[in-house]
Amino acid sequence: MNVWMIATTVLLVGLLPCVWVAMRGTIMSALAALELASTITTLALLMIAQGLRRDPFMDLALVSAILSFAGALTFVRFLERWV
Amino acid sequence: MSVGDVAVAVLLALGVASALMGSLGIVASRDAYDQLHFTGPATVIGPVAIATAVLVEEPLSSAGVKAVLVALIMVATGPILLHATARAARIRERGRWVVLPKELKEMEGPSRSSRP
Repeated sequence: MNVWMIATTVLLVGLLPCVWVAMRGTIMSALAALELASTITTLALLMIAQGLRRDPFMDLALVSAILSFAGALTFVRFLERWV
Repeated sequence: MSVGDVAVAVLLALGVASALMGSLGIVASRDAYDQLHFTGPATVIGPVAIATAVLVEEPLSSAGVKAVLVALIMVATGPILLHATARAARIRERGRWVVLPKELKEMEGPSRSSRP
């Protein structure tokens, strides 16, 4: 277990407050929590790839960064007017 | 433990701390606008610190290039997403995005309007 995996473990604790807010807050608070959770997930994937010394795993972080942006924008678009 | 290892540990601690402070702040604040503020450091400081840590450990490698790419994407898209979310929150709250002249007068308050 190297320093990258230790840092990833600590970082993943940060998902718990996001889950709490997403479950208990208003719908816009839940969206803010979702955006932070997707950021934390992308960073965790990046650090796991480096911690395991597997370069192809970096692509997962790349895909997560792009798709979380697109997904959050879709939620924003729906919550702006229709839901 | 070399200087590079210490630098990697410090950069990782910085990146993880920025994300953790954001997630603690999102619980502590009540308003959606306040909560959106706390997502800022996690999307800017976190990726930059972690990509720099990867570069310190493996300069000029495929992992380093991809980490920088991820950091660039997150730094570029984070503020856009934050603005779009705040805009959606305001439209849900007020029914429009534009600020009316009446609201501007309310924001200015009596102290400014009473000036000679």
